[in-house]
Amino acid sequence: MSETETPIVEMRNICKAFGAVRALHNVNFRLMPGEVLGLVGDNSAGKSTLMKILTGAYHRDSGDVLVSGAATQFRSPQDSRDSGIEMIYQDFALCGNMDVGQNIFLGRWPRRGLFVDKKRMYSDAEAVLKRLKVDVNSVRQRVESLSGGRQQSVAIARAISFEPQVVILDEPTANLSVMATNELLRTMQELKEHGVAQVIISHRLTDIFEVGDRVMVLKRGENVGDRYIDHTSEKEVLELIVEGTPETALTADQARAAA
Amino acid sequence: MSDRSAFRALFAGYGWEIGLLVFMALLYAAGTLINPDFFGDFHALRATLRDAARFGVMAVGMTFVIVNRDLDLSVGSTLGLVAVVFSLLYAPAHYDLGLGWTVAGALGVGLAIGLVNGVLVTFLQVPAFIATLTMLFIGRGLVLGLTGGKTIAYDAKAAESAFFAIGEANPLGFNNQILVFVAIAAVGALLLARTRWGYESYAVGGNLQAAEFAGIDTRIVRIRGFVLASLCAAVAGIMNVAQDKGVTSQYGQGAELIVIAAVIVGGASILGGRGRVVGSCLGAILVVLIDKVLREGVPTVRVIKIGGVDMQVQAMAQLPPGAVPAFLGLILVAAVLIEPLVLRRRLPQRLWAWLRGHTPPPAEDADGVAMVGIKTMGHSVQAREFSGGLVNRLLARREAAAVLFMVALWLVGMWLRPDFWGSLDNSFNLLLAFTEVGLLAVGMTFVIVNGDIDLSVGAVLALSGATAAFLMKTLGADPGFAILAAFVVGTAAGAMNGLLATRARLPAFVATLGMFYIARGLAAWMVAGRQLSQFPESFGLLGRKLIEPLQALGLAPAPGTLAFKIAGALSTQTLMLAVIAVVAAVVLARIRWGWACYATGGNPRAAGYAGIDTDRVRFAALVFSAMCAAVAGIVYVAFLRSFNPSAGQLRELDAIAAVIIGGGSIFGGYGSVIGSLAGAAVIALIRALLSLQIIGADGQSFVMPQHWVNVFIGLILIVAVLGDIWLRQQAVLGRLLGRLTMRRRASRSAAT
Repeated sequence: MSETETPIVEMRNICKAFGAVRALHNVNFRLMPGEVLGLVGDNSAGKSTLMKILTGAYHRDSGDVLVSGAATQFRSPQDSRDSGIEMIYQDFALCGNMDVGQNIFLGRWPRRGLFVDKKRMYSDAEAVLKRLKVDVNSVRQRVESLSGGRQQSVAIARAISFEPQVVILDEPTANLSVMATNELLRTMQELKEHGVAQVIISHRLTDIFEVGDRVMVLKRGENVGDRYIDHTSEKEVLELIVEGTPETALTADQARAAA
Repeated sequence: MSDRSAFRALFAGYGWEIGLLVFMALLYAAGTLINPDFFGDFHALRATLRDAARFGVMAVGMTFVIVNRDLDLSVGSTLGLVAVVFSLLYAPAHYDLGLGWTVAGALGVGLAIGLVNGVLVTFLQVPAFIATLTMLFIGRGLVLGLTGGKTIAYDAKAAESAFFAIGEANPLGFNNQILVFVAIAAVGALLLARTRWGYESYAVGGNLQAAEFAGIDTRIVRIRGFVLASLCAAVAGIMNVAQDKGVTSQYGQGAELIVIAAVIVGGASILGGRGRVVGSCLGAILVVLIDKVLREGVPTVRVIKIGGVDMQVQAMAQLPPGAVPAFLGLILVAAVLIEPLVLRRRLPQRLWAWLRGHTPPPAEDADGVAMVGIKTMGHSVQAREFSGGLVNRLLARREAAAVLFMVALWLVGMWLRPDFWGSLDNSFNLLLAFTEVGLLAVGMTFVIVNGDIDLSVGAVLALSGATAAFLMKTLGADPGFAILAAFVVGTAAGAMNGLLATRARLPAFVATLGMFYIARGLAAWMVAGRQLSQFPESFGLLGRKLIEPLQALGLAPAPGTLAFKIAGALSTQTLMLAVIAVVAAVVLARIRWGWACYATGGNPRAAGYAGIDTDRVRFAALVFSAMCAAVAGIVYVAFLRSFNPSAGQLRELDAIAAVIIGGGSIFGGYGSVIGSLAGAAVIALIRALLSLQIIGADGQSFVMPQHWVNVFIGLILIVAVLGDIWLRQQAVLGRLLGRLTMRRRASRSAAT
């Protein structure tokens, strides 16, 4: 990927403080179209804060957020959704009492006239699930009766039904079994083939090395590393997480050139 | 200099309590100014302290419950029931037992109620406000049932015993109850502030999960809280009978309001984890003082003409009976609002800094922590809807139980009184009884689906009815205007519920509990505690058979036609219910707004992320519930042609039970209008069956008294909630069955 191509998301010099706590300090972030980026770091490194600023859940103190090169000011997650950015939360944010179809179209159930158009909703839901190659018994099954992996599939289906350009997955494997994790990694590959850029916030480097293109390391609210997966190792990334400094940050291209 | 710092150290952290003392002094001074006859006298101070002693004792126990993040609405009834049991056991006209047995029996009743509350809330997972509200009504029913509404007195026997000195003044000039209060307060304060028991309570109320992980048996801690509250109420009941040497069925009525308000005014948080016994005791004295100021009234001089001569008459401008709770309810709401509106925004610190010319400390994030409690989500339900045939699928629907139950109950009635039950008269009476519950249940369905609760529907019904009655009777208003005004007043009550629940982020049961007292108090105030009747007949048309309003409008079909017969048999209010129910059912099941309710109740955070304005949904549901109650209130007055201040009492229980029986979940996310209507029918049928005159083989007839019926309805609500939690959500039966079949299979395979 060359420097000349326009990133789908670019964040420049982001600063954010909670009271006296400096959560982010001059953080830069770049995501190319169709790229799978792993965002790693210790607890309180600022990973979630950075992503919540991107989605508009938090408001930055200073810095710029550009989507496809255009400056943005998201006030809420709804704003970023309109720009094609979706986030999948760690606990999936689904309504257990409602069925799969209702959850995929949560809050924007298709209407015909005044009434909800159930027929269209369920057929659209099935189409989305088919596109993801996810197997759910029935779109009329209640979400609370599904396994954790299936629930996550519903959450992902919900996200991609917005036709997003960027999907952010917050600790996607935290609540999953090994089987379900493999299923998820396959689904992410599928998404990538559809040209959707993904950001994975994760503690599990193995997963990121399996599907990721690039990995970005944060430490105490600062950039400390940016590497292509092909030109780094889990060992190097671990070292960055533990003892990285702003001097080790570089950019992925610089790091490759230096190697 | 060192004196000042020592002084400061002594009072550091007790700012709230000091503020209460100052406020009390000011209030007492105001009372003296307004009513010198009463408050100017030293006796008044002693009488206030004497009455405050009982509420103070109850407040000590309630502090534990509220610190635990629970709530006990049953303490007033417990006081009443203990007083009644004590009197029955002791009175020569009844069991005539010795004092030892009597006191043991009375305390035993208190202990038992506390244990039942505690076990319901902890082991059986019933929300505290539901369990204890039911206990409140069951207790009141028992009090009425046991006393038969009559007074029990035993002055002569009491005079022989030294025990009753507890309720008398001692040689030092004050009542011994104050000593009991001080002793219990001291023990309670030590227990909460200095022992492991107290520390465990703070841990449980602050973070239940953390306390559990730390190895605290949180269930024991919470049961202990309920038991302490009930025992304190029992002691207060004994103090009460020691003073009066007798009992009436009114004892302890509404005491829970004063006690809860006292604890919250005393600085405890309704969200648990904060509260002190000292504060609660001061709060109790303050609230009782307010109660006294309100009840004593203002002396006025009225001029009346007698035979053409102006006569000056000394009179007291007093609140009518039943109106005081309106103010106490307001105090409760105001006290609960102190936390989100004043403390969280650090107003006192900022004001103090501003007064001294310092830069004020920053306000905490206003949109920080929500005050809504963490929801206990229903556990997973097996996806039975997808297995089995049509019958199985129908049975797996949550409404099924209510429909089956309804049919079964009707058949029971047919079996008991075949001569009467199936008759047209009885059927229409059933339909009428069903209308009121049905209306309330339709509104309540939306609220419960959202995961909220509306405890105020019965009171709002009374408020709207009183508004209509008051406007027509006292102000001579036009019936049309009266209907409009009653509807607007009810809607406004709902809007206040909604604002408190969404803007102030109070748990809905707290917001509507305030309205429960405020609305009923206002209703009693408007009609001055009396029954009003004789309204314009054009108003009464709303409660008649459909034919009458049609005739009045000149639209009646010709006599003899089928339409005429139908209009002659069908009640107007049944038609209104049908229209409202159909619209509500379509909205809930087919329209985005209704689905947003399910999403809000299922997972409010997920609904919020999905762009649903959950606050607006919850607000609208609470307003709609109040609107339904307002319509029910208007219909009540029209149908009975009179208004009684006790209108709609216990109806909140009926409506909640109807929704739960009809498939709703007390934790939100489930419920349907059709199910709730079936549930309302179940409630109406049970009430009709229980008050059915049974004619025995020997020609003897028997009717169950109304207060026993109320006890029964309370039990039904508890059974319904338990059934929902354990049968529907935990699928206990299914799991048991599964285990049995597995075992059988295992033994079979072992045999082969």
